[in-house]
Amino acid sequence: MNGLMLVARREIVTQLRTKAFVIGLIITALLTAVISFAPRFMSGPDSYTLGTVNSQQLPLQAAAPQATFEWRSFPDEAAAKQAVLAGDVDAVLVNGTKVLTDGEIDAQLGVLMQSVNREVRLGAVGVSIPALQMESVGADTRYESARTGIAWVLTVVLFMLLFGQAVVVAMGVVEEKGSRIVEILLSSLRPWQLLGGKIVGLGVLGLINLATVIVAGFAGATASGIAADFPPGMPGLVAGVLVWFVLGYAFFATLSAAFASLVSRQEEVNSVLTPLTMVMMATYFVAIYAVNDPTGTLATVLSYVPPFSSMIMPVRMAASEVPMWQTGLSMAAMALALLAVLAFGAKVYERAVLRTGARVKLGDVLRAR
Amino acid sequence: MLEISELRKRFAGGPDAPGGKVALDGISFAVRPGEMFGFVGANGAGKTTTMRIVMGVLQADSGSVSWQGKRLDYDVRRRFGYMPEERGLYQKMRVAEQIEYFGRLHGLSPAAAKKATDDLLERLGVAERRNDAVQALSLGNQQRVQLAVALVHDPEVLVLDEPFSGLDPIAVDALATALQERCRGGVPVIFSSHQLELVERLCDSVGIVAAGRMVATGTVADLRAEEGNTLRVVVRDPAPGWADGLPGTVTVSGDRHVLRTAGGDDQEVLRRAMKAGHVEHFGVEQSTLTEIFKEAVA
Repeated sequence: MNGLMLVARREIVTQLRTKAFVIGLIITALLTAVISFAPRFMSGPDSYTLGTVNSQQLPLQAAAPQATFEWRSFPDEAAAKQAVLAGDVDAVLVNGTKVLTDGEIDAQLGVLMQSVNREVRLGAVGVSIPALQMESVGADTRYESARTGIAWVLTVVLFMLLFGQAVVVAMGVVEEKGSRIVEILLSSLRPWQLLGGKIVGLGVLGLINLATVIVAGFAGATASGIAADFPPGMPGLVAGVLVWFVLGYAFFATLSAAFASLVSRQEEVNSVLTPLTMVMMATYFVAIYAVNDPTGTLATVLSYVPPFSSMIMPVRMAASEVPMWQTGLSMAAMALALLAVLAFGAKVYERAVLRTGARVKLGDVLRAR
Repeated sequence: MLEISELRKRFAGGPDAPGGKVALDGISFAVRPGEMFGFVGANGAGKTTTMRIVMGVLQADSGSVSWQGKRLDYDVRRRFGYMPEERGLYQKMRVAEQIEYFGRLHGLSPAAAKKATDDLLERLGVAERRNDAVQALSLGNQQRVQLAVALVHDPEVLVLDEPFSGLDPIAVDALATALQERCRGGVPVIFSSHQLELVERLCDSVGIVAAGRMVATGTVADLRAEEGNTLRVVVRDPAPGWADGLPGTVTVSGDRHVLRTAGGDDQEVLRRAMKAGHVEHFGVEQSTLTEIFKEAVA
């Protein structure tokens, strides 16, 4: 196995074994599942318990296939009334002519019962009414709320992972530099192998995290039934998000490692990363803005500008429809920027990581040799 | 043969040292296979800088390092074992895993790395701590692990910066034995130390460095010969003025007169002493490495 892969494997094994990583992963998974389940609690119930007294059950299921209905029958109106007041049933149909409820009936349920009742009665006398065909001639807005929700979750998750992993990379670099273990490592590894291995290893962990979020999100959404509202093209979105994460992570992690290699103590990591942190925060804020206005000028323009594009383009992709060529163009620009950053980062790291002691100035590193 | 020739290194000056600081001013020496080379010198003399350049951790301004006639490059250095002055281990990693990891980095197969690790842990007496995190170990045991990291890939050359510092006498012996074994196997070993008696006891040859230059190099015996030996004579109750005209100095304690002399005719000295009184001691006093060192760097 070559040096880079050995370094990467060590990073992965070491992190996987820490309690912090495992617990973090479980919490992330639970949190995502809950968030994707939440809309279910906010929009009214899609399952109803109904009762009958001396009536036929209405074929509600056929009219509203997404909802579930449970029927009970009561011997008389008094028993039915009691059950309604106790909250055991949402509504009771009495003698096929009236409906008992506790307070005003759920609007959707009311409309549904009225129209189905009408249909049944008309059908009994031989009148059949074809259902109305609904057709939108404007933009497809069916999935808007689902899209916004997904974009929101995506923004937060991408930011936390990009930021979190970049900091872990920085801490790792300083750990090795501060303890001088880097001297032994670099007598058997080339600097780019050590740097690359660390970035690859922690990147794989980031992808594990991201995959967990995606799987938990889909599991939660499927369990709660809101997955039915997801827009088409989800596999494409997921693939896009993974690619964008890899690009964004590689960009920020490389810079993070390069800056971290300038200092020798963990306490200094924060201050040396400040410029990078600010860029990441700015990206995050623009991404949040883009969630609400995915087709606006700011979001559109910045979705082509690296490194902003690494978060804003996936948000645009989730919140609206983005033509393939735009995604491709933006990815190409990001990939070019990444190459430049890799060259820069490797150079800084190689020159600074063995200069222990006081903080090394970036200018000195770039001028040296 | 490991040959270090004409190494020069100047560190860039800060605001307080505008001209920079010369760390190495043309250091040259050679270490043969199976030779244990002790590197001594005051703090800041250039030992660590030299070793870091040998290991490729630092670039020399000029000069070269070669092993078996070949200038050192990355692939050759990978077969070297190195223990830096400032100890570095992953504190949270387990002992055996850490040693194995470094074995793999040096190109060992997983099985070979595991076997070498097991052997070393056994030999260095830390086998029962193999699954502990490094940070849970005492300083002495951490040092043993550090040595294991330097030895795991059966290096062709060993470069150890202050390997004995901070060790108790038992750990020193364990470490010394491990090094001697490697040496007998034909590995050149360079180590720096301030414990000169230890260097004197272990090393085949010694290099004394001062202000970035090699001021003396050779076997301890060679250095002694260069230094010249001191004749020490103890006479009890001699006649006063017995040593007049003889080179050297006389110190008197009680009725014993002690003459120390570095030159002159020893037979003449003996005759005069016997005539003067009862000769209790007559012998050549070998200078210690400490004396040679002080002389050399003075």
